[in-house]
Amino acid sequence: MSEMPEMSGPRTPHAGDDMAKDDDVVALLMRQHGDIRNLFDEVEATKGEERGDAFRRLVRLLAVHETAEEEVVHPFARRALPGGKQVVKERLAEEKAAKETLAALDELDTDDPKFMPQLLKLRRDVQAHARAEERYEFIHIRRSADVAGLAVMAKAVKAAETMAPTRPHPGVESGAKNMALGPVAALMDRTKDAVRKAMGKD
Amino acid sequence: MTFNPLEQRGVPLDRQLRSWRELNVDPIDPDHCDPYTRCRIITMNGIEVEAILFSHQLARNTVDPEVKRQLARVRYLEAQQQKVVNWLLPGVSSVLETTIAYEQVAVDLTAWVARMEPDPYLKQAYQFGVLEDFDHLYRYANLYEMIEHRKAESIVDGLTEVMPGRPTRFHHRDPVDNVRDAYAKDETSPLSKLHALTILSAEQQTMNFYMNTGPTYMEPIARQLYQEIGLIEEEHVTHYESLVDPGETWWEQLVNHEYNECYLYHSFMEQESDPKVKAIWELHLNMELEHLHAACDLMRRHDGRDPASVLAPELPDVVTFEPNKGYLRELLDTQIDLTTLGAGYVREAHERFERMQERIHGGEAPPSDRVMTEHDAMFGREYRVQSEGDHPDPAQREK
Repeated sequence: MSEMPEMSGPRTPHAGDDMAKDDDVVALLMRQHGDIRNLFDEVEATKGEERGDAFRRLVRLLAVHETAEEEVVHPFARRALPGGKQVVKERLAEEKAAKETLAALDELDTDDPKFMPQLLKLRRDVQAHARAEERYEFIHIRRSADVAGLAVMAKAVKAAETMAPTRPHPGVESGAKNMALGPVAALMDRTKDAVRKAMGKD
Repeated sequence: MTFNPLEQRGVPLDRQLRSWRELNVDPIDPDHCDPYTRCRIITMNGIEVEAILFSHQLARNTVDPEVKRQLARVRYLEAQQQKVVNWLLPGVSSVLETTIAYEQVAVDLTAWVARMEPDPYLKQAYQFGVLEDFDHLYRYANLYEMIEHRKAESIVDGLTEVMPGRPTRFHHRDPVDNVRDAYAKDETSPLSKLHALTILSAEQQTMNFYMNTGPTYMEPIARQLYQEIGLIEEEHVTHYESLVDPGETWWEQLVNHEYNECYLYHSFMEQESDPKVKAIWELHLNMELEHLHAACDLMRRHDGRDPASVLAPELPDVVTFEPNKGYLRELLDTQIDLTTLGAGYVREAHERFERMQERIHGGEAPPSDRVMTEHDAMFGREYRVQSEGDHPDPAQREK
């Protein structure tokens, strides 16, 4: 359970921003898909340093979310679902394409005129990928995994989520060009370690 | 601008068939579209679905094979129109997102019709119904945040407020109390006939949508909420369809359907902000003009009457999607505690209403209340959009 922020009016939930039991990996990942969409909204709606900050949080959440899926749910789907290999292959191809767009985007300043068109392309790709996962992969995972299995996978994804704080941290990283692929790659590595530890596989 | 569809010609029927290439339309972008573009799409889909289903019923009651063939021909074109219109909705939207858009249609279309309706009894029927759709929007919005971590505001975009209406648990009335009195076809204004057909089509499509998509959810609370609100849509279709005079002949009804399609495509063409969608409204208007002429010929032939005698001399003012916040707040302030008794409205919970309530709830909280409890357990608050201030009814303010 995560701490609740002060609520005056309804604010946009960020990843982990609820008191859900998180004992179902599919429900958790679907909420993360919404969190990613919320961050896209935030990047689009802001400018300057605020946009830079929102974009960094988006990149982190995307990296952590996709890594967790690659470590936790895709292996399960590949193993346990009929035709799972093909489904996962298609999802991985989409993830690869998204990562390439992300890498290109990452080299631009967030106020560069080329930034927004590329961001919108990434947003479309990520959204199509997320819905494809929900419809062709998650639906079978819920059918095939038992309650304990869904909970173990959820725990691993939660462990990954803690690697990507998604609320604004004004000033902390402002101006720093830390979104070169190095730090993201390192973040992915740390996420993998956290996930494997939570799954009892390290 | 005056526009009399009876005097306009459109695309000849034998040039209306479209190929796969023409049917393959680009869907709207769910994250950047004008919310009212999506509302117009959902409305026109409901109108086309009603056109198709009505024509099927008419065909089943038609003996003459030549007439059956003529109905089949126009109906196939209407089916193509339905495909083009509804396929403007994007595949990446979830069922729940589309549901919230359906409720935005129900709120802002019904509120607009209530504002414009000249007959006080019919106006009351729309005012009564809109406060229920308004509450459904609020319940689904809370479910949406639970399942997808998204705010309904990202769909309705500040155009429609999200807060309690008449609480959903009170919508379950004895079915006999859902039947209203019909307007008199020879006395009511032509505009009233168009309003009734429009709202009944929209509610019927909502009923069909929920009855078919509700069970695609796996989350128990989602399945149950769709079941509950789906049953209220059944009540709403009963409520609105009973407003239509059953003394209208089949041919008169057919003419009214085609005329209404011209009216709505014309209205939406006038206000559409998305140029690609606007082009579709314009094309479909030009198709509907010929469907209308074909229907008029059938009415002349079978009823021996001039269709102009039952239609308006020109199209009424355009149906408009626009915010109705002030109007809805006024209704919330004055009509939230109404229910129906027979064909009328009362404030007290009468015996038949209480009996229905006891039986359907079985002493438990209905899904529409449990969704709020579950949302509260997850977020420690409700989801609302009250851009114009506190809820007008103190009893409905957030605790």
